[in-house]
Amino acid sequence: MLRFLVRRILGALVILLVISAVTFWLFYAIPRDPAMMSCGKNCTPDMLKQVRHNLGIDHPVPVQYWYWLKGIFVGRSYGDFGDCAAPCLGYSFANREPVLGTIMNRLPLTLSLAFGSAVVFVIFGVGAGMIAAVKQGKWQDKLASSGSLVASSLQIYFVGYIAMYFLVAKLGILDNPSYTPLTDNPAEWASGLLLPWLVLALIWTANYTRMSRSQLVETLSEDYVRTARAKGLSRRTVFFRFAWRGAMGPIVTIFGIDLATLIGGAIITESVFSLQGVGRLALKAVDQSDLPMVLGVTLLSAGAIVVFNIIVDAVYALIDPRIRLA
Amino acid sequence: MSFSRRNFLIATGVAAASTTVLSACSSDDKGATDKNVPSVGKAKTMNIPVGTKADSTGPAPEVAGAVKGGTLYSLDQFDMDHMDPAQIYVATEGAITRPILRGLTGYKVDDKGGCTLVGDVATDAGTMKNGGKTWSFTIKDGIKWEDGSDLSMDDVRHTFERLFASFVTEGPRYVQQWLVGGDKYKGPYDGKHIDSLEVSGNTITFNLTEPRADFNYTLAMPGYGLVNKKQDTKEKYDKRPFALGPYRIGSRDIGKSLTYVRNDHWDPKTDPIRNAYPDKYVFQFGFELVASTDRYIADKGNDQYAMSIFNEVAPERVAQVMTNATLKKRVLTQVDTVCYYWPINTTRIKDVKIRQAINYAWPHQQIQTINGGPATNEIATTLLSPVTPGYEKFDLYGVDKKPGGDPVKAKALLKEANAIGHKLVIAYQQSDTQVKVAVAIKNALEAAGFQVVNKQVDKSTFYSQIGKLDNGFDLMAAGWSPDWPNGYSVFYPCWDGKNIGDGRSNYAQLNDPSINKAIEAASKIADVEQANKAWGAVDRQIMELAPVVPDYNKIRNWMYGSKVGNVVYDPGNTCVALCKMYAKK
Repeated sequence: MLRFLVRRILGALVILLVISAVTFWLFYAIPRDPAMMSCGKNCTPDMLKQVRHNLGIDHPVPVQYWYWLKGIFVGRSYGDFGDCAAPCLGYSFANREPVLGTIMNRLPLTLSLAFGSAVVFVIFGVGAGMIAAVKQGKWQDKLASSGSLVASSLQIYFVGYIAMYFLVAKLGILDNPSYTPLTDNPAEWASGLLLPWLVLALIWTANYTRMSRSQLVETLSEDYVRTARAKGLSRRTVFFRFAWRGAMGPIVTIFGIDLATLIGGAIITESVFSLQGVGRLALKAVDQSDLPMVLGVTLLSAGAIVVFNIIVDAVYALIDPRIRLA
Repeated sequence: MSFSRRNFLIATGVAAASTTVLSACSSDDKGATDKNVPSVGKAKTMNIPVGTKADSTGPAPEVAGAVKGGTLYSLDQFDMDHMDPAQIYVATEGAITRPILRGLTGYKVDDKGGCTLVGDVATDAGTMKNGGKTWSFTIKDGIKWEDGSDLSMDDVRHTFERLFASFVTEGPRYVQQWLVGGDKYKGPYDGKHIDSLEVSGNTITFNLTEPRADFNYTLAMPGYGLVNKKQDTKEKYDKRPFALGPYRIGSRDIGKSLTYVRNDHWDPKTDPIRNAYPDKYVFQFGFELVASTDRYIADKGNDQYAMSIFNEVAPERVAQVMTNATLKKRVLTQVDTVCYYWPINTTRIKDVKIRQAINYAWPHQQIQTINGGPATNEIATTLLSPVTPGYEKFDLYGVDKKPGGDPVKAKALLKEANAIGHKLVIAYQQSDTQVKVAVAIKNALEAAGFQVVNKQVDKSTFYSQIGKLDNGFDLMAAGWSPDWPNGYSVFYPCWDGKNIGDGRSNYAQLNDPSINKAIEAASKIADVEQANKAWGAVDRQIMELAPVVPDYNKIRNWMYGSKVGNVVYDPGNTCVALCKMYAKK
């Protein structure tokens, strides 16, 4: 297990290095000028030169990348703008703050949004899928299948606004979406995020319902499941001990990627509900050509996917005894 | 306030969902909408006279019915790019910082919608000598920073000297250009002072290179807010400026929120401008226009005490809000000073008849529709907005009669110029709205006999590209708003031949001796009324040469919660007057 983890972590670091280099170069390939964005209306060539110097983009791209990379390990000084302690992912001149600090500031909201909605969509999605599989062909199956088809056709920017209008503005059942740190007030944390959780879950639940249903239907027809039934084990034991575990592999894989994607930033959800998480930070950074922030958020997203992939691989072995880590 | 990237984003953002608005407006609500939309034609010119010494004395006049206490909130899309006054140029940033920053002069809003230029920390609006080449301001006693220390003359001098520092790249540059020796001065951080700023007792004197009869108006710009010398952290000051106004920064989470709490050392007797009714302001950022408008419509909880600085009524909700009497009561509507226009490159199109043909053929009405309809913008025929002092109504190219364009007249002019099939290259910023506008323009101009090539330019480099002398464009989307209420800061930067050059704002590259002369003459007139007349004449004179197509004037609609009192417009800062509001009990 340890060998497996070490190998995967080293691989992950290489992937992150490649992603950072590619992002860096791609950013300079597009015809946008971050200095112009910061130089204001009365920008003269001299002022533009000064802004380029202030932003640290007056060096060749490889040199800039080297400085950035070095900053992660030894920190970096940005002259009069201040110092950025290691691990320094750069300094956002748009936000006038070190990148890592800004991301860490936005991350709790995004984590709350991701994990909260994940709990809802996994419980309801997998639950509905299980019922549909067990009650194959019956009304419960038809309801779950058609319901998931409708839900998966919906979009957050549609459901979100409708839900806001009816549940918050018209009926006043739920609070306006907002974020209060969990440690400050757990009740406000939950009530402020309840609507985004539900809307996000409604869309994502459908995938899990459909997937868990089809996986379970397939697994329930496997030879080993039939054998277990033939040996006299109860339906419940066969379902939870053999069929369910066997079907969970692909679902866990997708769940790992979905959760990592949400942690990388649910841009549309955050925009619809006016929440200031990592997703909107990324959107703003792209709009402002804020390369250090774009890099930081890209690495966070990539890092989340890589980490969750490792976790998923490890969890495989726990769920399915047929799989062994090599 | 000159036209900025953010202004553009706001403008295009407002217009982004224009199709939705149009369909809403053209449905069964049409009649009601037409009756209820504001009109530039009804807008009053905002003359802002210079107040007396008595006008400059605090406290600010009480607002009838206002109560002290409570918290006011904001629902806004953007946080500010800057809080260091030296870096502030856009009106919205100026408006948000009014409660914490003070300048030598400022605008005093009265309860009848009037506005006067007064001394803010100065005892009056300044004393002019040498025909405007020398200006003196005396500082009031008892003005204190948020730490209780006195505002010193060192602070005042330092404020203007630091404008020359290399990190100041975004604020206004008038003082730097006009102070004698400003071309060589590099800022105060190496211990050197600029000689043209003289301090004697409580008085500071500015020695300028040219007569500037309106210099006291220039100093009312938020970009000339005062900075505490001891607290000056250079670049870092942008994050946390030191307060001189009735509030100080309580907390700031960049991009998310900003809180102002009371500055206990502020003395209302020294301040003729700010009322400071609420105990606290909580600015919340990250709300799209639709989100904030929906929350204002719902009017629940703290949103009842909320207003916006950046966010206007979303285009998708304009019809709903403006046709509902109850909702409309909670909207502040104001014609803006900005004029959106299309400069014509006069070095590429030298024949005035071709330029006039463009004006005749222009599809004003279609563009108005694409930009959100008459509730959010109105067709312009002049460079000065109807609310800017000096505005004179005229329509040289028959826009009122044929707002959709007159291709026949345009074609006839082209024929006279022997230029049928003349090729025009049009530059516009990347956005959904601008793409639609460009198509409408192309269709209209081609119907008049032009050959049109549309070029979409990335928004981050747009101004640097159209600001190049040899840019290859014939027509460019642009806009301008005066930095203070007269024609100088419209005509000098954009239409005087001295401002032709890479990175300058005379995009049409107009260098007409008679125009240059008229601008210079108007800028020397000390009498405000006479000066305004002269600026109106300059506007007409420029339009006769047709180096530009005036496009539209923006109409702004700010919505707010039901428990926000006295939401009024500040004509001097061209934004909502934050310091006049109160939280209803």
